Amino acid sequence: MVRQLPVLLFLSAFTPVFLIPFVLRWKRAPYLLSCAGLLLSACFSVYALVLISHGHTQHYYFGGWAAPYGIEWRLDGLSALIATLVSTVSFFVILGTSGFVQKEMRKGTVPYYMIAMLHITSLLGIVMTADLFNLFVFIEVASLTGYALIAAGGSKNGLMASYRYVILGTIGASFYLLGVGYLYAASGTLNMADMTRILTSIPPSKTVMMGLLLILLGLCIKMGLFPFHSWLPNAYTFAPDGASALIAPLSTKVMIYAFIRIFGWIIQAPVLTDYPVISSLRLLAIAAILAGSVLAFKQDRLKKMLAYSSVSQIGLMMLAFSFQNPVALTGVLLHMICHSVSKAGLFVIAATAHHRLGAETLEQFEGFAKRMPAEAFFFCMAGLSLIGIPPFGGFFSKWYMVSGALESRHFVSAAIVIFSGLLTALYIFRFLEKMFFAGGKTTPSGPREVTDFPFLISALSALGLLALGITAPLLFRWSLNHVLIN
Amino acid sequence: MEIVSVKPLLALLISAAASVLILFSGKRPNLREFWTVTAALVKTALVLSLYPWIRSGHTVVWKLGEIFPDTGMFLRVDALGFTFAAVASALWILTSVYSIGYMRSLKEKDQTRYFFSFALSLSATLGIAFAGDLLTFFIFFEILAVVTYPLVTHKQTDEAIKAGRKYLVYSLSAGGLLLLAILWTYHATGNLNFTPGGFLSGLKDSRMIFIIFFLFIYGCGVKAALFPLHAWLPSAMVAPTPVSALLHAVAVVKAGVFGILRITGFVFGPSVLKETGLGDALGMIAGFTILGASFMALAQENLKRRLAYSTISQLSYIILGSALASQTAYTGAVLHLGNHAMMKIALFFAAGAIYCRTHCENISDLKGLGYRMPFTFTAFTIGAVGLSGFPLFSGFISKWMLCMGAIDSHHGAALAIYLSSALLNLLYLLPIVIIGFSRSAKHEAVEEKPWTLWVPPIIAAAAVLAFGSVPAWIQIQKGLADLAAASVFMGGMP
Repeated sequence: MVRQLPVLLFLSAFTPVFLIPFVLRWKRAPYLLSCAGLLLSACFSVYALVLISHGHTQHYYFGGWAAPYGIEWRLDGLSALIATLVSTVSFFVILGTSGFVQKEMRKGTVPYYMIAMLHITSLLGIVMTADLFNLFVFIEVASLTGYALIAAGGSKNGLMASYRYVILGTIGASFYLLGVGYLYAASGTLNMADMTRILTSIPPSKTVMMGLLLILLGLCIKMGLFPFHSWLPNAYTFAPDGASALIAPLSTKVMIYAFIRIFGWIIQAPVLTDYPVISSLRLLAIAAILAGSVLAFKQDRLKKMLAYSSVSQIGLMMLAFSFQNPVALTGVLLHMICHSVSKAGLFVIAATAHHRLGAETLEQFEGFAKRMPAEAFFFCMAGLSLIGIPPFGGFFSKWYMVSGALESRHFVSAAIVIFSGLLTALYIFRFLEKMFFAGGKTTPSGPREVTDFPFLISALSALGLLALGITAPLLFRWSLNHVLIN
Repeated sequence: MEIVSVKPLLALLISAAASVLILFSGKRPNLREFWTVTAALVKTALVLSLYPWIRSGHTVVWKLGEIFPDTGMFLRVDALGFTFAAVASALWILTSVYSIGYMRSLKEKDQTRYFFSFALSLSATLGIAFAGDLLTFFIFFEILAVVTYPLVTHKQTDEAIKAGRKYLVYSLSAGGLLLLAILWTYHATGNLNFTPGGFLSGLKDSRMIFIIFFLFIYGCGVKAALFPLHAWLPSAMVAPTPVSALLHAVAVVKAGVFGILRITGFVFGPSVLKETGLGDALGMIAGFTILGASFMALAQENLKRRLAYSTISQLSYIILGSALASQTAYTGAVLHLGNHAMMKIALFFAAGAIYCRTHCENISDLKGLGYRMPFTFTAFTIGAVGLSGFPLFSGFISKWMLCMGAIDSHHGAALAIYLSSALLNLLYLLPIVIIGFSRSAKHEAVEEKPWTLWVPPIIAAAAVLAFGSVPAWIQIQKGLADLAAASVFMGGMP
């Protein structure tokens, strides 16, 4: 059973996609099947983490074909960590957003859950595959299902946002495929480990350089790095509430994973020095941080503010990645986790506020703390983590990122990482101030439903961030010992 | 010797635990206030139970975790930290009782949020006092900044919200620079632990030392209200008076000053300060702040704002004392940390009681109140006279030590600043007393009640007298300050 772990992890999330059409008679079935599948895959990914802590990296060769010839899937420290993130966060989001989904999907929830599960499955595939072309396939599946999820609400804005995402996403994926083609031409392989071996042995060439640049460009578009971010804010804002809570915390994070996998693992440091692609990234990342924050500050819609905040945070992670040292990389991983958890919580709270109070814009959040005190409190906690206030997880990721910057002697970048925290504070406190201190309506919202899952999810996100903060030093050591071994 | 004990952690966490209980008993005010008072009492008892160990020269340690391989996070209680913790937690008892009277008399809204934030900020303060390394210090420093924000903004008026914004911008930017300074220090030395006498003496790059020092000073200077970073403090006086009393006279601003004492004594060390001339630079800023703020205080008509400027000036007494790099001055600085807290809290309590009964905020409106509110004004008078440094009041001892330190280190200018500022103190505080005790029929109907509003200031004033004239009490306080200064200047041996 251990040998098939990567596939089991994948299949447990994939099977519900096929089972759902067979149980149409029972209305809750799609929801319950999805939850069960994700819970199972979360358990498998945690089990993988345990195995990796004991030093067992998991490989799976499809059809029994050995590595360079067949397709390999792999669960090492990095992919197991992100797979755990994807499966747990998506489990909780799917679990918590069923109410919103039922309200928003007027034509039935069956297609929604099928597409959502397919989306999550392909994200898991991106994380586990050790083959560059296989990666492309999963990126495409994730994108196609992503377009569908965004448009699923059927609103005009949603369709428009989805259309924009289709155009830009396709361009990004094409760039990536083209880049892989160049690398294949230079190395003759698509397997990641094999590619690493060959690239270190051949002299620097323009073909490889071109391939790397195209991949970089493609992935930057897919992850929404400024100035290629234009698809992202509308997609997050106009997607149905349930879908945006699912897409926002995960899909860009997984693209960042793909980026880290390619530019941190496949192309290893000595080779990377021959190709100055990463340093060119730094300016973009800094621009993303500044522009994302300023734009986030100017938004009046909560969801749009959160979307632009993602643009800025993506820049932050890419900036820290560009320092190319273990401490900074650990900071990036930690930040991916913390950002994902806090965005999941924040989007669920945004959805709750929208559905129960009809609140979407800054003005409508006046007196929110009076009407939904618990949600406001959790919003505050998740927001503080985003800013990087101790003892939440976001502080420790900032700590390691700045530490990494100083280790590589990038003093200006270190200052920018810190400055980005201050900018984040500006746009988060703009909302907090309205929620807690502006006067206005004080009529409390109606009674809670008996099982209030969104409430539970936002509470879990806030407490999770606290737990991440307390365990951050342990995660750091785990990542040094089990993720950054090569 | 190091004693391993969980007591510091418990003392720290008790008010955080209380804050959760407070949050859940928001609908039953009496139960809610019971949690506050109980937590304050238990916290103080826990802190004071460390005294025998500290007095005999030990430090109490509790390990929290490892942030980098070989670099830990600690709670370490030494004489300096103990002094600050004892002052903050003992005065929290007074403030809790006073808060109950104040908030209920004024029928303030959102009292649950108020008591919740208050309890959390006390946890953060103890964390700062007990932090054994720069990271732990920073974590609680940031928490303190965030949890005191709702207190500043408590009244929810436009003015309060603006003051809150100002406070946040100042303190979060300071936090950012402090973080940079701390990580830079780590990368230059591989060390984060507070070491008596400092651990930066190995660094040769003087330009780097210079930059790190001023990053540190900016980081702590905002909370310590050092010129030109002080502007948030007078605006923050819009907060309810118990907040101004405990936080803006004791916990928050003292956390900044305490940070500067840590940085000058336990990160840079007196020898580095002397060699690089950084001590003199800091001293000049502090000296300017002392005089400037005193003159500003003279010009204030609003009572709380006058007290705020007085606080700014007194805080820089301590900073100047730590910058002089003399053992006597450092002792004086540690003493003044506690003494100023007692005197200022008496003054603020009195100001708040006056506001509660009469809604007067301006000094000229206080005519005749001394006869209507005798206990309150007695406390105010004792605080005012003590702050000006009269013998037999606790302020005298610390100021005496500070002046001796200035002489020791041959800083005539510092001595002159201390002496002239004592005169200015008298000039801006005594008129208030005189106005209060002048005859006027204006406030005939004012009564001095409830007891929760006048007993706390009287107790604070009694403490001012006790720590200024009872030899045994003076011994306790001075013994601790001596221990702290000796560890900095003589490598731990008193």
